[in-house]
Amino acid sequence: MIKDTNHPQALRLILVDDDRARASAVEVNLTQAGFTVLSVIPTGSGLLYQMAQQEPDVVIIALDSPDRDVLESLAIVSSHNARPVVMFSESGDQSFIADAIGAGVTAYQAEDISPRRVRAAIDVAIAQFSAFSSIRQELDQTRRQLSERKDVEKAKGLLMEVHRVTEEAAFSTLRKLAMDKNKTLGEAARDVVAILEKTSHRGTRHD
Amino acid sequence: MTEARRLPPGEKTSLYLGYLRLTDSAPVIMARELGLYAKYDLDVVLQREVSWANLRDKLVTGVLDAGQMLAPLPLATALGLGGLRADVVTGLALSLNGNAIALNPALSVAIRELGGDAESSARSTAEALGRHLRAGSDSEQLTLATAHSFSCHTFLLQMWLRAGGIDPQRDVRIIVLPPEQMVDSLARGSIDGFCVGEPWSSIAVQHGVGAVQATGYQIWNNGIEKVLGVLASWHQRFPATHLRLRLALMEACAWLADPANRDETAAVLALPEYLDTPEAYLTPSLTGRFVYSKGREPVEMPHFHVFGRFQAGFPWRSHGDWLLQQTGALVGKTLPAERVKSLVQQTYRTDLYREAARYLHLPSPSGDYKPRNRHATVWEYEPGIELGPDLSLLP
Repeated sequence: MIKDTNHPQALRLILVDDDRARASAVEVNLTQAGFTVLSVIPTGSGLLYQMAQQEPDVVIIALDSPDRDVLESLAIVSSHNARPVVMFSESGDQSFIADAIGAGVTAYQAEDISPRRVRAAIDVAIAQFSAFSSIRQELDQTRRQLSERKDVEKAKGLLMEVHRVTEEAAFSTLRKLAMDKNKTLGEAARDVVAILEKTSHRGTRHD
Repeated sequence: MTEARRLPPGEKTSLYLGYLRLTDSAPVIMARELGLYAKYDLDVVLQREVSWANLRDKLVTGVLDAGQMLAPLPLATALGLGGLRADVVTGLALSLNGNAIALNPALSVAIRELGGDAESSARSTAEALGRHLRAGSDSEQLTLATAHSFSCHTFLLQMWLRAGGIDPQRDVRIIVLPPEQMVDSLARGSIDGFCVGEPWSSIAVQHGVGAVQATGYQIWNNGIEKVLGVLASWHQRFPATHLRLRLALMEACAWLADPANRDETAAVLALPEYLDTPEAYLTPSLTGRFVYSKGREPVEMPHFHVFGRFQAGFPWRSHGDWLLQQTGALVGKTLPAERVKSLVQQTYRTDLYREAARYLHLPSPSGDYKPRNRHATVWEYEPGIELGPDLSLLP
């Protein structure tokens, strides 16, 4: 029987995500949207037990959690599984599913819940997961740029010291090296650091 | 390179191929290490996935081009069981065998005391477990885990239990756990045993938290395990690319068939970018010197993983039929025989295997079906086609 009325009770959810910051953002937004978040659980903490105890209407799960195959096993009706779970797919809306997969999240629902009511919860999750993945990309990029810059500074310093040249000359040596070897400036800098550090160590030992 | 030149050019050269962290991922990984994708002008990015559901969904939504799949998974996906529905085809099996059942040390001792000896017979351990359960000394029902509902792990575990007079539905509880959680769960006592692909049983053995009671080979000699899956629609769009991918993988499987290459394989698979695990966990099953429990001498099991011998790559429709019947039984449905036959014909594409074999000048079976549980030794299916033993614990 479909438990769908004009004044439905708030859907009860479990959220499975190892990323704490992301999980709490999703939780806050789900709560604001009128859903009841029963629990937020990381991977490997007894999802089957939680499912049996709490009987959620919906489970929202991060794609990087290996527990998805566990959830899908609950689609099989058995004496151990009173309330079968199905993957949320809202009558095969492929582009919507692709959006969810692209954002790194998906959802399962109890068979007796109308997919219409679940859609809003998944929309919230997709929005939060997307936001987190773009923040993470920006962070990664910034970190990469920062470490590149550090490597370049270090290579420049070593070149100046060893070859007794100006900062400008050291930098143009580095650039030429990168262009000749078809490498990025950062890669060339790391090569230079590796080589010069080896030479200077050898130097110290002989001194 | 002559083979590559006579081939039609690939419609697509950049591919994403999904796999899971398992020892029998060796073909997809070694094909890369041996430069075989490049040989066929393919630029393949390997993507390690954390669940079969992820791999399936990424295949369905086009994030992945192809994937290493559990042999029943293309069929379960065609039926839409558990998750997204889509038509998946396979023209190449990637491995035979490769699984094992391990139980906790207390149960293993009980089995040995009741006459079970895994190293000589998987039936003896099943029967001993049956006697142990009927004696009723355990207050709680046993919980056993497999890595996926629709997997050979589940079907092999069920067969082994039945061989011991144990009803897999009533007498024990079978749950699904991610492979990574198996050893921990066994050590913590939240499960009593599992059936899973390597290296997980060897890890349990080496840490002394479990002992192997049966290998997949002992339960079903040379049963199909992993296949290369692509969407039927993907195959239609990129038939030449699909052919090239199968050729690269068939060459990798042929290379893996040489026991001399298995140590190197273990070393490569152990790398952080692949399985990221100590080599010692991978060598027992890969080299076929398998250890059943901690402190025991290795047992020669050359067929623990079969990648290239015995026409291993051929996607026998008789295997498909059996897997689909098991899948149907698991969800409480008896699929009509014609439905089974037509779905397997659509999914297990023996024609695609033969097409690839012709390019490699290799013989392939002329039929699509072979008997099960008939041969105890290597036998000839037809001239030039040598197949391995095919015994199983139950008919």
